[in-house]
Amino acid sequence: MTLAPDTFTFVADLVRQRSAIQLEAGKEYLVESRLLPLARDAKAGSVDAYVRALRGVPQQREYDRVVEALTTNETSWFRDVSPFKALTDHVVPELLGARPGTSSLRIWSAACSTGQEAYTIGMSLLDSAPNLRVQITATDLSEEVLTRGRSGRYSQLEVNRGLPAPMLVKHFTRVGTDWEISQRLRSQVTFSKNNLLHAPPVGGPYDVVFLRNVLIYFDLATKRDVLRRVRGVVRPGGFLFLGAAETTIGIDDGWERIPVGRSSVYRLNARRAA
Amino acid sequence: MSTLTPFDTQISAIAEEVFAAMIDGEPGHLVALPDGAPLTDPVYAWVDMHAGVTGRALLATDVATAHDLARALLQMGADEPVGEADLVDAFGEVANVVGGNLKALLPVQGTLTLPQVGRERPDLSGATQVDAVALMWRGQPLDITVWQI
Amino acid sequence: MRALVIDDSRAMRRIVSGILAGIGYETAEAGDGRQALDLLEAGETFDLACIDWNMPVMNGLEFVVAVRANRAWRDMTMMMVTTESEHGQIVRALAAGAHEYLIKPFTPDAIRDKLELLGLVPQADLIEEPV
Repeated sequence: MTLAPDTFTFVADLVRQRSAIQLEAGKEYLVESRLLPLARDAKAGSVDAYVRALRGVPQQREYDRVVEALTTNETSWFRDVSPFKALTDHVVPELLGARPGTSSLRIWSAACSTGQEAYTIGMSLLDSAPNLRVQITATDLSEEVLTRGRSGRYSQLEVNRGLPAPMLVKHFTRVGTDWEISQRLRSQVTFSKNNLLHAPPVGGPYDVVFLRNVLIYFDLATKRDVLRRVRGVVRPGGFLFLGAAETTIGIDDGWERIPVGRSSVYRLNARRAA
Repeated sequence: MSTLTPFDTQISAIAEEVFAAMIDGEPGHLVALPDGAPLTDPVYAWVDMHAGVTGRALLATDVATAHDLARALLQMGADEPVGEADLVDAFGEVANVVGGNLKALLPVQGTLTLPQVGRERPDLSGATQVDAVALMWRGQPLDITVWQI
Repeated sequence: MRALVIDDSRAMRRIVSGILAGIGYETAEAGDGRQALDLLEAGETFDLACIDWNMPVMNGLEFVVAVRANRAWRDMTMMMVTTESEHGQIVRALAAGAHEYLIKPFTPDAIRDKLELLGLVPQADLIEEPV
């Protein structure tokens, strides 16, 4: 089944306006597969028919669902593994070393989806620095994923995605067919709605920001804007984690790239921040 | 003597996950069928759960559907013939995965028997039916019942 | 990298072997714990074993215990791949010496995620794939 060109153009425009994410030509399959469940829900015979109906009678709620369907990524726990090791073994020791007497850290998990990254940060720090007070702000565009994140409940298929078994048995209990993360970890994470195109969330200034696999969707000007806004809420000497295919280099020179193991982190230049 | 509490909607939730993850590669192909549909050429697969009380998860579908299930699980072509051993293996494994996940919902940790598959419905005289769920996979009926035996 | 897939279901062995082959593994299969031990005793070596729990002859937990009892096999990483999914069962398998635990049903990505955690993905295959 092939998607009609005007369906793709309409959806790509809608997603770009709402989220600044660019769906380039060749992503028709993505539109088709992500919107198929919505088309089924709406009892439309195809994605084309679904989008045609939507264009005929615009509905904000349904537009939101389309944007959410195309911007929500499947998410795993220790996604890429190495960033979390860099956090516990390098970033946190350096932050604590630079500010002796520090007993708390504020962390922002941006585009958090259903919360796996935020809770992974929480579990990693609870195991490596149990006395540290950690406050994590987790944000996303979608109210639906935030609600799920807040519940701290995940299906069997979700806990299978990159959560080490020792951490599963240590931090989760079974509730029916789901697994629920401990109250202690849930109490560390605050979920709130935020669009990266607008002002950053309250809860800062942050010591560490996770903004992974988000910039790849934006054009250069938007990347620059987003990084500038993030810079405004990071403490001097604070750290930024990006996705493996992303960098600040050539986009925003307020950051210093620091190789850690096989990945890199970015430290906010003290000079800039001062 | 303790009794088995109905699993209710958790049965279809588990079955949907099993089919989406391991058989279809996407959700949406296994759906509830409120009124059920009769099987014309049935085959059965079951596992028993021993956890203080003994329960049996029994899956039933038509042989042709079980062949399609085996083709999907074994990644065979649409017209490839399915041998008896493949049917037994594939349908039995579906019963095993569904049954294992149901067992985990029981209040007492228990054990699971190896799956059995047969053209005859296993003897359930004296057993009490706890749950009955009628599902449809790719347009064909698939029933799951749970029994206390 | 070599993996041993131990499951009494041929369908399940084929699924797991297929996923591992796609990641770059050479795979061997065994239908129960005893057959798997026979391969190890014959001198075959594996980086990874994916182990079902409920099997005839010798179950997966017994296999894990047997492997742990032999120092020659301590470099093999053991991951349970089973429908046994109670909290207590996972604890039991880890205590017996399993390194990881994957619950059936699983998606192909889940196996890959677990191997990444274990550092068992061949390096050439570690490429970030943007949507």
